[in-house]
Order: sequence, then C-alpha cells, then structure tokens
Amino acid sequence: MSTSAGLTDRRGIPAAPFVEDVQIYLSQLNLDVNSALAFLQERLQQYRVVEMKLLAQQRDLQAKIPDIEKCLDVVATLQSKKGTGEELIADFEVSEGIYSRARIEEAESVCLWLGANVMLDYSCDEATVLLQKNLENAKASLEVLVADLQFLRDQVTITQVTIARVYNWDVHQRRLQQTTATPSES
Amino acid sequence: MQQAGSSASETEVTWEDQQNINKFGRLNNRLHEVEDEIKIAKETNESLEDAGNELILTDEDTVRFQIGEVFAHVPKEEVESRIEEMTEKTSKNLVKLEEEKESIVAQMAALKKILYGKFKDSINLEED
Repeated sequence: MSTSAGLTDRRGIPAAPFVEDVQIYLSQLNLDVNSALAFLQERLQQYRVVEMKLLAQQRDLQAKIPDIEKCLDVVATLQSKKGTGEELIADFEVSEGIYSRARIEEAESVCLWLGANVMLDYSCDEATVLLQKNLENAKASLEVLVADLQFLRDQVTITQVTIARVYNWDVHQRRLQQTTATPSES
Repeated sequence: MQQAGSSASETEVTWEDQQNINKFGRLNNRLHEVEDEIKIAKETNESLEDAGNELILTDEDTVRFQIGEVFAHVPKEEVESRIEEMTEKTSKNLVKLEEEKESIVAQMAALKKILYGKFKDSINLEED
C-alpha cells in the first residue's frame, strides 16, 4: 500500500505519505499522472509557505535570546555593586550618536519592559528570576521550532522524491507503450 | 541546495532509502548552520583579541565596557578578566562547533556512499 511507516502529522503540518509503489499510489488516488503531479506540486508549495513562516519565527527567537542574556548581564552587574556602596557610572545613548552619563547608586529595583507599553518595577532578585524564566522559555520554544522545521523539510524531501518517481514512472510507461506499439507495423 | 533528482530508471525507492535521503538533507542543512556559526565565533574571537590589544595600549584606568546597551565605567583589571572569560567561552564554543562539523561531514560521506551505491547516476547529492 502507499502509506509509510509512522505517518503522523505534526502540529498542523500534514505528513507526506511515502509511496511504496507508484502504480498502486496512482490508482488509489484515482488520478492520471499529470493531475497527480499537479497535486504533489501544490502540496510542495504549501509546505514552502509554512517553511517561510517557521523560518521567520526562528529568526525572531534567535534575536530575542541574546537580548534577554544582555538584560541578565545588566541586572547581575547592578546586583554585584549593591553591597559595596560603589556607584555604577555608565554612558548611555540618548539619541543616535549622542551619549550621556548616568550615576546609578544602590540599585534596589529595576524596571522591566514587558511589552505592550507596560513596564514594571522588580527587585533585582525577582528580575533575575523573571528574565531567567523568559530565557528558558525562549530556548525551549526554539528547540520545538527547530524540530518542526526538520520534520517539515523531511516532508518536502519525501514529496520531491515522490514527484520524481511519478514522473519517471510515466516516462517508463510511455517507453513501454512505444516498444509494444512498433512490432504491429509490418 | 542538494536535491534528490532522478533520471528514468527502474530502481525502486524503499522507505529505508527515503529515510537515508531525509537524513542527508537534515545533515546538509545543519552543516550550513554550523559553518555560519563557526564564522561568527571566529569573528567574535578576533574582536575580543583586538579589544584586548587596545586595552594594553590604553593608559586610562577606567574603560567603558559595554554591558547590555550601556557603556559602564569599569576598572581596567576587571575589563581584562572579563575579556579573558569571554575569549575562553568563545574558544570552547568554537572547538565544539568544529567537532560537530567534522561529525556531520563524516556522516554525510557515509550516506553518500550508501545512496550512490544503490542509485548511482539517478541521484544527485552535490551542492549546485
């Protein structure tokens, strides 16, 4: 039959069935070669669209992770200065190319930007915990995303191979028909 | 991008073959990613080295060291040890990436042998 071992969809991505025998596959679909090829090509296009979407999500996450790590770095630096009574002097960008100097003393709390125009005050410890959790979530999401992409690419490969095999089968069939047709000529 | 293209032939493709082809595709993708990461790691190492050299040349006691989005005034020694730490981390990462690359290349070579062995000219596993 034309079903593969382990044909399971993954999070909305349909699995591509592996074709054991092209002839049986075509008769099961009840399509002629050209319609089957068109159907497979369309499937391939759909996979490509999903691939673009996943790649964009992957890029976003990959940008987000270093940002969170930078925040953790800043909070850790502020915390390390806390007990010493030293103040932290930092130059920060006010506008493009324009910097100003800030003196930060005894950082009791930090404000974290949560998105959606919301910023909350947290103690350094709470901030570290929250940022750490966000970092772990982002890394976990990235892992799942990468696995999704791998699955998707496998389905694309299977579909490409199926297209090639259906096409070759068709060429082969035509050749057979030609060779059986010629002996009838006198 | 490598693709499994075929010319008209009789060879049947089994599920095992398909899985080998899929695996080859996955490895190839990962290989490109690793090569990019290696390039970035090497550039980071170079930047850190340049920074270290600049540090030796400067006669100031306080250096503006970038933490997050701001430049904090940090004493020279602390900057030195931070840079050393960062360099060690990047170097270790680079070694790990190079090892992964070697492993991937070896696996791909083995798969090529198997697939070319069965399909010969019907399959193309080269970069175009």
